[in-house]
Amino acid sequence: MNPLVSLILFGLGILFVMITFFPEKGLYYKWKRALLSTERVLIEDALKHLYDCEYRRVNCTLQSIAGNLNISSDKAAELVERLESLRLITSENGNLHLTKSGRSYALRVIRVHRIWEKYLADETSIPETDWHAQAEVMEHELTPAQVDELAARIGNPVVDPHGDPIPSEDGDLPGKEGEILTNLSENDFAVITHIEDEPETVYAQIVALGLHPGMQIHVLENSPARMVFEADGDEKILAPVIASNITVKRISRTEEIRKDFKTLSSLKPGEKAEVIKISNALRGLQRRRLMDLGVVPGAEISAEMENPFGDLTAYRVKDTVIALRKNQTDHIYIKNIERLKNE
Amino acid sequence: MTERDEIIAIANRLRWEVGGNFHDALMESLYKEAGEIARKTMRKKDGEFAFSLDRKIDKIVTNKWTGFPIMFILLALVFWITVQGANYPSELLSGLLVGDLYNFLRTSFISAGVPDWLTGLLVDGGYLAMAWVVSVMLPPMAIFFPLFTLLEDFGYLPRVAFNMDSLFRKVGAHGKQALTMSMGFGCNAAGVVATRIIDSPRERLIAIITNNFSLCNGRWPTQILIATIFIGGLVPAHLAGLVSAGAVVGIAILGIVFSLVTSWFLSKTILKGEASTFNLELPPYRPPRILQTLYTSFIDRTLIVLWRAVVFAFPAGLVIWAISNIQINNVSLADHFINFTDPFAMFVGLNGIILLAYIVAIPANEIVIPTILMLTVTHYGLQLSGVGVEAGVMFEAGSIDLTRQILEAGGWTVLTGINLMLFSLLHNPCSTTLYTIYKETGSWKWTVISALMPIAMGFTVTFLVTQLWMLF
Repeated sequence: MNPLVSLILFGLGILFVMITFFPEKGLYYKWKRALLSTERVLIEDALKHLYDCEYRRVNCTLQSIAGNLNISSDKAAELVERLESLRLITSENGNLHLTKSGRSYALRVIRVHRIWEKYLADETSIPETDWHAQAEVMEHELTPAQVDELAARIGNPVVDPHGDPIPSEDGDLPGKEGEILTNLSENDFAVITHIEDEPETVYAQIVALGLHPGMQIHVLENSPARMVFEADGDEKILAPVIASNITVKRISRTEEIRKDFKTLSSLKPGEKAEVIKISNALRGLQRRRLMDLGVVPGAEISAEMENPFGDLTAYRVKDTVIALRKNQTDHIYIKNIERLKNE
Repeated sequence: MTERDEIIAIANRLRWEVGGNFHDALMESLYKEAGEIARKTMRKKDGEFAFSLDRKIDKIVTNKWTGFPIMFILLALVFWITVQGANYPSELLSGLLVGDLYNFLRTSFISAGVPDWLTGLLVDGGYLAMAWVVSVMLPPMAIFFPLFTLLEDFGYLPRVAFNMDSLFRKVGAHGKQALTMSMGFGCNAAGVVATRIIDSPRERLIAIITNNFSLCNGRWPTQILIATIFIGGLVPAHLAGLVSAGAVVGIAILGIVFSLVTSWFLSKTILKGEASTFNLELPPYRPPRILQTLYTSFIDRTLIVLWRAVVFAFPAGLVIWAISNIQINNVSLADHFINFTDPFAMFVGLNGIILLAYIVAIPANEIVIPTILMLTVTHYGLQLSGVGVEAGVMFEAGSIDLTRQILEAGGWTVLTGINLMLFSLLHNPCSTTLYTIYKETGSWKWTVISALMPIAMGFTVTFLVTQLWMLF
């Protein structure tokens, strides 16, 4: 065969495989996603939406279901009828309410969703912008028994990585706490307790700024145009519409306000310091390994040397020398930096 | 409400109060407590001196200007000692196992009245493959690994990982992969076992799957032989040695490049979601326990080689003899396969004999060349002076020239030689390595991926090389 012909055929073959199996956008994945829109998924998503309305104390209607699930009004009407016949919801002047069994069903789905997000955050390296979408799929697939097993395996977590409480097996869930970030005024101090992961684009912006629950906020400016604040010492600017997706808890006592935001990565060879905090950005295995090695709040740590390219630094902790990468040491906070004497 | 319900209710309420961070708090308090106890009860001898000596050595071996030269010199030295040191024992073992003992076994089998086919199967097939593997593999293994272990014992190897981490971080891997890769140059199965030093699941899988791209010592002889015949033959005689050595080193470097590119690809695609962490301990230097290390390392490797020869090579030998001697319609199974696959093999610039040799040599790459030579001679019915070849009996031609004659009679060109070198680098790991990968990962999925990915790459690369070669 002519080599040119076989090379062209080869190129076409590669192209075909790419089109079919390209991650996320390939035909294979599209086909797999299309298979998911079954009745069960619609019912569960509708219940979740109703629970969300209840939680936020707003009214839910047929239209809001159609909008939230991205289906036609006819289809939504059919769905509501089905939910009523299953005695999962009741309707009252066009307002829809969950029945007791509807609420416990919704909480079960939410439990799966949040546990799966926690699992992804702690046990895998899947990026945080993908958690929600994956949990949206898994919440309809896992059985209660599988979820309880998974929860037990990851230590029966109480809150998901966004700061949302995870319903217990009996559907127990505490009430809403905290206030939205835009409520704060200049010079207020607070801690991020929750970051809403919907809509996706808004969440992606928040993630891109490196914000996550547990960070300390110090508001510098709050105007209708923008919000300027320090998060763990770094200045950030957000549009108010995005900032309203962040829930915070005010710090009431001034002695709880942290002032040191130096990170371990700023420690130079020949200096020692005390670890004060490992940021929540280091999760799961990363966090556990660090703590296993003795990098815990209160531990004394000194920088020993850098590798030839300067992106890996060896530290002495508890008389052991371990090397850590910059993407780790950027998330470890220290205080009381001193030079070692005998250097 | 019973007492039990009450307790559960309280526990459920407290759950929310305790919050998500209590594991951290618990750990922190444990360390604090342990630290207090240690401070009260432990008295430190003057330990600072040892540390300062360590740092002095570290300053030299991790320095920008001296670190890398030291690393290359030490690794080159290890390879040089291995190659030089293995030469003589290899010849000795080969003369003994493939020569004298083989002849002795054959004659005793015949004089004991054992049927011809059984003698062929057991002695010409199984035993010979076993003997081959032992004589090719044992000496380099018994030299390379003890030397490596010495460097590890001394504490030098973690510093190599420390220096090299920047490169491996960029492809999503762990600096310690530099070490498992180097081990792979000795034996991929040993390299896979060595990945235990990487405690991050994702980076460990990357190191396991890409270890095969380190040219192991079962493949070096093939590379050297083919480079000498086909690449060395392209240039004037006085340059031949240098050029063919350069070609082999080039293939080894190409393997490292493939290993890095594949690491990057894996970390971005199928391994993206695996949990990942990083830490690299830099233990204090200590004087290596030379004799003990040499002895245990030597015994360990020898046992691995012998085990591999018996478990994997022996059956391979049986198969080689059987397919060459079992006939359907007066044509042996091997010839049927060769005739059938020849047209396909053409596309990737190889031939049916090479494909067959690589299938039967899955258990041990060492017997690829002897199998190819035997199959070429029997398939084409070559008459060679001084070589009496029987179907199913692997052999090595006495001289490079004779090997060249056999291969050229089998239709080999420079392109076939280049493709064989590429395919020898890029094909499935041997069965010992696959078995080890399965044992280490406990997963069929990763084992199958480790086997199929390099094969797919091998066929792609040889296909492209062949078609482009024909185009220009």
